[in-house]
Amino acid sequence: MGISEAIYKRGKTAGVFPSLSTRRDEAYMDFIESARNLLLHAQQEPIGEYSKLLLKNAGKSMEPDPKSTAEAIELLMKDNVLKTYYRIKRTLQESFWECTYSSLHMRKNDLLRALDDAEKIGPGSVAYDLDFSIPEYATAEIHIQPGGNVNDPLSGLLYDYGSKVFMGGAADNDMFADMQASAVATPQNNKVHRILDLGCSAGVTTSALKRIYPDAEVWGIDISAHMVRYAHARALGQNLDINFKQMLAEELDFENNHFDIVVANLLFHEVPVSISRKILSETLRVLRPGGSFTLIDFSGDKSRDVYTMFFGAMDAADNGEPFLPGFVRSNVEEIMEARGFEMHPYDPDKFILAERIGFKPNH
Amino acid sequence: MTDKKLNDLDGLENLPGFKRGNPTYFENEVIDHLISITLELGAELWVVKDRLAHVEEVLSEHNKLSLDSLSTGKPSALLQEQLDLERTQIIKRIYGRLYSKYGGDVAEEKSAI
Ligand SMILES: C[S@@+](CC[C@H](N)C(=O)[O-])C[C@H]1O[C@@H](n2cnc3c(N)ncnc32)[C@H](O)[C@@H]1O
Repeated sequence: MGISEAIYKRGKTAGVFPSLSTRRDEAYMDFIESARNLLLHAQQEPIGEYSKLLLKNAGKSMEPDPKSTAEAIELLMKDNVLKTYYRIKRTLQESFWECTYSSLHMRKNDLLRALDDAEKIGPGSVAYDLDFSIPEYATAEIHIQPGGNVNDPLSGLLYDYGSKVFMGGAADNDMFADMQASAVATPQNNKVHRILDLGCSAGVTTSALKRIYPDAEVWGIDISAHMVRYAHARALGQNLDINFKQMLAEELDFENNHFDIVVANLLFHEVPVSISRKILSETLRVLRPGGSFTLIDFSGDKSRDVYTMFFGAMDAADNGEPFLPGFVRSNVEEIMEARGFEMHPYDPDKFILAERIGFKPNH
Repeated sequence: MTDKKLNDLDGLENLPGFKRGNPTYFENEVIDHLISITLELGAELWVVKDRLAHVEEVLSEHNKLSLDSLSTGKPSALLQEQLDLERTQIIKRIYGRLYSKYGGDVAEEKSAI
């Protein structure tokens, strides 16, 4: 049996995601995905309006500062409808992981063997070190994923399947990744020989970048060996020549002035701000003069009101996003500028996927 | 595999969300459990409906059933489409009322983005 068949013994779901082990698990997950779409995503706007009305009627401040945010949590979480919403959100998340974890672990040996086999062949490559020292901050169970990004041998598959269900269809067939990669800035003078994707996880954006720049040498790095192992197998399934390597974004093992494009998609809100600063310095170092850096992530608090801060704080606490509030408050575009990036105008009203684009100065 | 020395970061475990907790939202946590139970029952009911529809499809087409293929196979694309629609309607009908206070019971299905 070929590598991709072993991983995807039951075929792929939505084009690119590993199918779960049985039809039963898939049907269960269909329910979770639909319930998320109807009872969470579809509610976001109306429940936001409702919450803002509650805040307004109680005469609360709409400013996004920490004190107003704490008061909003206190007030809103007394409301029974909001309690219900957050109960449903947490329960669907727990049920989602319970099912995915047990379903994929049912085939654990097969899946690991497939990842081992994939390592031996190309196109592309993967490198990691099982004795790699993982900093403690990276052990958080983001999104309450069992084992988080680093502590389960199937982390990559779990993460990938998670992004399918969390995106509620928007990530199917890598549509979302292709959209994000198309927002990545071309460097000055348009020459693209080498591209680096920081915190690449399952290599989804990395692969989308390779599709846009088929002749470039593309690298994806991640702190987790389990992620890069899976990313390689996933890219192999798409016949893409990409190099994946386990590495800390804050300690890049590349020469100065090496890359034309560096990308970080949804990495920064998952690390402490002190690490973000180091990653930005390293990014500047490895970019060639005129090279572009595109950081895609949530918007900062300057473009928010107290409700979106409340929403983020709830996600942080109950959905394993410990570094999200710090990231939001850091307004990372300002740190980029202070570090020496030449900033492209930034649209602060873009809430979910704000691209901050900076270039390495030519002098 | 954790190296504490690599961090200049104290108090990580005090950050909300760093350690997986077990939050409850209602003063009476039985309500938390009841909501979770209804969701779980809904999911299990859906598993049975999906299985039944799959069994019916296989039987009507092949007149014989292999239990294995029910676990490893999939319904046809047409049946899957019907199931997707039915599932959405069931969830809306059963659970939508929880949000009727602000009109969320009639909200249309949406993906995350
Ligand atoms: C939300 S995911 C990124 C998603 C991915 N960029 C994409 O486009 O699909 C964050 C990833 O960053 C990785 N990560 C966290 N801290 C890191 C660090 N310091 N260096 C490299 N990777 C890191 C995690 O292991 C995780 O896989």
